[in-house]
Amino acid sequence: MTQRPQQHSFNPYTENGGTILAIAGADFSVIAGDTRQSEGYSIQTRYAPKVFRLTDKAVLAVNGFAADGNMFVKKVRQRLEWYRHAHSKDMPIRAIARLIQTMLYARRFFPYYVYNILGGIEEDGTGAVYSFDPVGSYEREACRAAGAAQSLMQPFLDNQIYFKNQTPAPGTSFPQHLPLNTVLSLVIDSFTGATERHIEVGDSLEMYVVLARESPSIQALQNIVGIQERTSTADGERIFVIRRDLKKD
Amino acid sequence: MFLTRSEYDRGVNTFSPEGRLFQVEYAIEAIKLGSTTVGIRTPAGVVLGVEKRVQSPLLEASSIEKIMEIDSHLGCAMSGLTADARTMIDHARVTAQNHAFTYDEKIKVESVTQAVCDLALRFGESVHDEEAMMSRPFGVALLIAGIDELGPQLYHTDPSGTFVRYEAKAIGSGSEAAQQELQDKCHKQMTLKEAQLLTLRVLKQVMEEKLDQHNVQLAQVTSEKGFEILDESSLKQVIEEM
Repeated sequence: MTQRPQQHSFNPYTENGGTILAIAGADFSVIAGDTRQSEGYSIQTRYAPKVFRLTDKAVLAVNGFAADGNMFVKKVRQRLEWYRHAHSKDMPIRAIARLIQTMLYARRFFPYYVYNILGGIEEDGTGAVYSFDPVGSYEREACRAAGAAQSLMQPFLDNQIYFKNQTPAPGTSFPQHLPLNTVLSLVIDSFTGATERHIEVGDSLEMYVVLARESPSIQALQNIVGIQERTSTADGERIFVIRRDLKKD
Repeated sequence: MFLTRSEYDRGVNTFSPEGRLFQVEYAIEAIKLGSTTVGIRTPAGVVLGVEKRVQSPLLEASSIEKIMEIDSHLGCAMSGLTADARTMIDHARVTAQNHAFTYDEKIKVESVTQAVCDLALRFGESVHDEEAMMSRPFGVALLIAGIDELGPQLYHTDPSGTFVRYEAKAIGSGSEAAQQELQDKCHKQMTLKEAQLLTLRVLKQVMEEKLDQHNVQLAQVTSEKGFEILDESSLKQVIEEM
C-alpha cells in the first residue's frame, strides 16, 4: 500500500445557537436570552439557561459554545466569591466588567468561544449594559444583542431604542431612556420576531430585570404574570425573572 | 530570663514552651529604637508625620525617606528598620496596581494592609529543598493611611503580621509619650489643619533636637488631592502656625 498524506484537524468548538439581549434603562437593566440549545439541525435541549444571576446587582448572559459558556460563568462566580471574602463586599458591576475582560484576554490564544453581555446596576444607581467579544474587548452601552439572531435584533433595537433613522416631530425630542414596560415589550417582540425567522431561536424566553434601590420602575412589574423575585438581600438592588414561551418549531 | 530564651530564640518559627515566638518579639522591640512616627485620622483625611534623625550636619536631610506613596489614594509612614519597609511597600504597590488593573477600581485601605501583613508572616517559609526567601521577620512597623468608599482610614501593622485600625497612632522611640498626648488631644471632629498641628506638636514633644522643616516630614491623604507629601515651604508654614 502506498503512503498518502493524511490531514488531521482539531475542532474543540461547537456553535450552540440561541440569542441573548440586554437593554439598560435609567434605573434598571433587562437581560434576556432564549433557552434553546442546538447543534446543526438538532435541538439538544429546549431548556438550557444562558442568563445567570451573579450578584444582587449583576446578571451575565453568555452565548456561543455552551460548554465554554457554562465553564466561564462558573469561573466568574468563583472569582466573585473570592473577591467577597477578600474585600468583604459584592463586586461592583464596573469591576465585574473589567474582571471579565482580564479573564477572557488571559485565554487570548485558546479563547472561550463565548459572547458575553453583562447587565445590572452601577454604583451610582444607573442601569448598565456591558458587551464583550470572545477575547475581552468591552464597552458600556444602552443596548446590545448577540448570538444567532444578533443581525435580526440589533437593527430593530437601533431603531427602537436609539431612534436611528427616525426624526422627531417638530418641537419634540426622543427620550434618553425608555420606561421599563416599553423595554419589556421590545424584548418580547425581539424574541418572538427572531423565533419566526431564525431556526436556532425559540422554545422559551428568560428575562432578568435588575432594579436599582427603591426604583419607581417596580410599578411596571406589579401585574406581570409568573414573575419571580431572585433577590438575596434586603434593602438593595432587586432581581426578578420573567419567563415566556416561544414557538417550539 | 535569657537562659530560658536561649533555646528558643534561634529558630524564627519555633514556639517557646510558653507559646512565644522570640524573634518576632525582638522584631517588635526593634521598632522601639526607630524614629517617632505619628498618624491621625480626621473626617477630612489622614495626616502622617515622621521625625527625621539628622545625625550629622553634612547629611542631606531631604534624602531621608520615611513616608512613601503606595497608590494615589494610599500613603505609608514607617518606623524601625526602614530598609525592610521597602520590600513591604513594593509588595503593597504591586498589590494596589494589580487590583486597579484587574478590577478598574481603587483597592480598599484594609485590603492593601491585609496584603502587607500576609507578606510579614512569610519569614522562614521555604519550599522543601530550597532556602527560605525571608530569613527573619521584618523589623519595621507601618502606619498605612488612605481613603476609600468607607472614608479616611489609618492602619497600624507590626512584624507579627497583626493590623489594627486607629483614630490616631504613634510608633517608634517616642511612641509612649506621643500616644498619651494623642489620647489627650485627639477628638473625632478634627479638621485637617488641627491634625497637622497636633502631629507636629506631638513630634516636637518627643524630639531631642529643635523641630524645623528639615527634621520632620508631613504627608496627608485627602479625597480632593489624594496622597501628598507636604513640601518644605508649606511644612514651614504649618510649623510657624504652631
